[in-house]
Amino acid sequence: MTNSRILETAPPLLAAERLVKEFPGVRALDGATLTMRAGSVHALLGENGAGKSTLIKALTGLHRPDAGTLEVEGRPIVLNSSADAVRAGVAVVHQERNLIPEFSVAENITLRQIPSRRGLVDREVMRDTARRCLDLLGLDLDIDAPVKGLSVAQTQLVEIAKALSTESRVLLLDEPTSALTMAEADRLYDVVGRLRDQGRSILLVSHKLEEIFAHCDTVTVLRDGSSVLEAAPLSSYSTDEVVDLMVGRSHTAVQFAPRPTPTEGPAALELDGVATAGGHQDVSLAVRRGEIVGLYGLVGAGRTELARAILGLDRLTDGQIRVNGEPARIGDVRSALNTYRIGYVPENRKEEGLFLDQSLTMNIAVTVWERIKRAVGYVPRRKERDLAADYTTRLGIRSAGTGQQVSTLSGGNQQKVSLAKWLAAQTEILIIDEPTVGIDVRTKAAFHELIWNLAADGLAIVLITSDLPEMVTLADRVGVMREFRIAGWVDNDDHDYGTVSRAVIDLIHAREPASEPTIVRRHRPRPDHPGRQARDSTNSSSVLRGLSSGKQCGETRWHVWHRASSHRCRTLAGWRFLGDVRRGGFPDRPFVLATERRG
Amino acid sequence: MSAPPVERTDVEVESRDRAKPRRRLDPGRAQRLGLLVVIAVLVISFGSASSAFYDQQLTIFPLLRDISILCVVGLAQLAVMSIGHMNLAVGRMAALSAMVMGLAYQELHLPLYAGLVLGLLVGAAIGALTGWIISATGVNSFVVTLAMDFVLLGLVSLVYAQFTTSAAFTVKPAGMDELRKYSLADVCLGPVCGSPAVPQLFLFTVVAMLAVGWLYSRTRVGRELLLVGSNIKAAQLSGIPTGRRVIGAHALSGTLAGLAGFMLAVTAGSFTATIGSEFMIPSFLGPVLGGTLLTGGAVSVIGTLLGTTLTQVIRQGLTLLGVGLESLNIYLGAILLLALSTGRIRTVLSERKARTSR
Repeated sequence: MTNSRILETAPPLLAAERLVKEFPGVRALDGATLTMRAGSVHALLGENGAGKSTLIKALTGLHRPDAGTLEVEGRPIVLNSSADAVRAGVAVVHQERNLIPEFSVAENITLRQIPSRRGLVDREVMRDTARRCLDLLGLDLDIDAPVKGLSVAQTQLVEIAKALSTESRVLLLDEPTSALTMAEADRLYDVVGRLRDQGRSILLVSHKLEEIFAHCDTVTVLRDGSSVLEAAPLSSYSTDEVVDLMVGRSHTAVQFAPRPTPTEGPAALELDGVATAGGHQDVSLAVRRGEIVGLYGLVGAGRTELARAILGLDRLTDGQIRVNGEPARIGDVRSALNTYRIGYVPENRKEEGLFLDQSLTMNIAVTVWERIKRAVGYVPRRKERDLAADYTTRLGIRSAGTGQQVSTLSGGNQQKVSLAKWLAAQTEILIIDEPTVGIDVRTKAAFHELIWNLAADGLAIVLITSDLPEMVTLADRVGVMREFRIAGWVDNDDHDYGTVSRAVIDLIHAREPASEPTIVRRHRPRPDHPGRQARDSTNSSSVLRGLSSGKQCGETRWHVWHRASSHRCRTLAGWRFLGDVRRGGFPDRPFVLATERRG
Repeated sequence: MSAPPVERTDVEVESRDRAKPRRRLDPGRAQRLGLLVVIAVLVISFGSASSAFYDQQLTIFPLLRDISILCVVGLAQLAVMSIGHMNLAVGRMAALSAMVMGLAYQELHLPLYAGLVLGLLVGAAIGALTGWIISATGVNSFVVTLAMDFVLLGLVSLVYAQFTTSAAFTVKPAGMDELRKYSLADVCLGPVCGSPAVPQLFLFTVVAMLAVGWLYSRTRVGRELLLVGSNIKAAQLSGIPTGRRVIGAHALSGTLAGLAGFMLAVTAGSFTATIGSEFMIPSFLGPVLGGTLLTGGAVSVIGTLLGTTLTQVIRQGLTLLGVGLESLNIYLGAILLLALSTGRIRTVLSERKARTSR
């Protein structure tokens, strides 16, 4: 921090002035300003959809801002590609890993500019560069080892080394610790501190406020695409003040006419202590007809995965799903639809919800062919067209007719089509996942009214959304999910944004529990390995022995998946496995669910 | 459950991004119309270059017989293209079915149509097996059918070596020779039932086209196949049993390949191991020229007939004009390339259009 005071008079390393970026129907950035000075760690905060990732993309040349200026060390600059950003000395480490697992550490670090001599890779220069980058971080890694054998934390650090290989002075870290344990995170922050002392500027995006307050010097808070707090010293703010700024007081939830909330009879959909092969633990919830139950959480908290488990796309390992009070065995989407009348409007409408190159009729009628078909599977065209036309008018889908290709509709209309097929199928339980992503504000309001009215008409609705105002507007109760569990419930009877959003954010940012659940999964079965017993015997103590004697997962072939971020391999050394061990997975790919505590 | 009462005006706020109604001809239909024009022009020019082109006995009859066979081959490929897959083993599946038919006629002395049905069932079974492997392993259809092609090549040669001396089943059940030679004019006396230029084999093609066309345009399974080809993830999340549809599409492909094998064997007069070895490239040419997408989700049965007709007219015409076999293949290769690029060109054009209209 002393460094930052000395350099206060010098021009900032990176300055973004009143950036504006518009997408069709959405103003993702609306005057965002960010000033990063040499020798400081800068926090970028904001709720989901506040514009953080758009800002990062604008800073790294992936998005071209519609208005506003960018300056690097006082010089105005225009970034047209990520290569331009690299040349300007701005590097980014994204939340998801971007390394090539089969390549060595050295190859990965120098991937952007592989040193070559006469068209051949110059291995000596490559290894020198890699070693220099690792030295900057104070890391001692085998640069010839393939990346796939490294732990999550190590790959994270290799990513940072890779970012440094291009002589970058500005480093953007997007949720760097989301997949790390606390000890690993501490290691990462040591490196961040070292980089700051070298006079670089680091931007940190994280949802973990304790970490932000422990390691950052200055802070910028984004809300609705603009900076509400700008390069302020973090030490003069409390956590509560920052959260208030993130949430904002300006939101007043739209109030709809109250719905009668029935309290009698069995719940339409009830989850009782559900655990899944995907990693959910002890998830319980109940939705009655006419009720909207919300599921809030950060990306990767396991909400969509829970929806998929309810639809039978992921196996239940424990607990029970009940539909209208009766225990339900849902094997696939077809039985979810035909037997239990459950519909799912997926989050990613273009990839999972719609058949873009097909007509409106095909998209809406897909769920009703079973019902309207006659002998030999004959589907009367008239009937399906009338049905599609009916729902097109009921939902107010703007089209040139039911023959129109869905890809030519606007985002809002496409989302309505994605919903229409489930209404046409006469579902009684509807799981709606992120209904208004990428939809402009006015259509959004119309969509909210639509969902509200569906519930008023007696549908049981599970609403998954990362849009907090939307959640507060619609839901009767909000379940906050964290790391594949329900962290807590918030009642939302008054739809009061201030109190509810505070309660929700408190639940999300609560400290991690000491014991952190982990999935252990063994790759390729090997007869001589103790892991075999995970499949062959119910004796969990032998499994525990096999686990606790494990070394690097690359060697023992035990793969450990961190709950919040799948596909991560972690070291088992020094861990004791306590408590309950469950077997699961596919016959050829067994895994053990264990409760882990670092000893 | 009643649908929501949302026909209020405040819902309809999207007037500015409302899509403009399109009055233009849809691209698929335009493509088929184009094909028809090209075929007509070619037929007229070949005819005026050499009057032998209009000879019913020597040119038109064999031309239509080839078209009949290759159109069924095209339909076999179309069946898997509808779900975005490929069947590189289409020729070898035909060989397998033909082999079973020949075996049935020689060893079991089955009548013509009983042997046909048996062969088609075997074709369906091998197709279903292929589809099952694809959906169970998740391996690309290209790889699986390529491997299947090799397996069947070995199997078929082995069986022929075992049961025959000259690598062909030459036992002809009653009616097979007639089927080869007869035209529609032979169905009844006089020119009432049709032209002597149209072979009776063409009726098999018509039946296959009607069945496949009805499947894709009128039935639930056909629509679900198209949706699987369009977006398999969305299909699964909409409750379509995607695994079963993949198996079904491949079984249909195997059946149609078997039918084509039968038709070729009837034409050739014997069941040999080499049946179907020339099927693979034409199987793609017909459907793709006719507007069936390689990526799945759209098929055209009429287009398949037109596409096959175009390639065969060119082949026949150039042969008549005395073009050698080698340069003939160059022309056909060029046509294939053009046909395979049309899909891509179409998407690029429509994307560009979408961009400018935005």
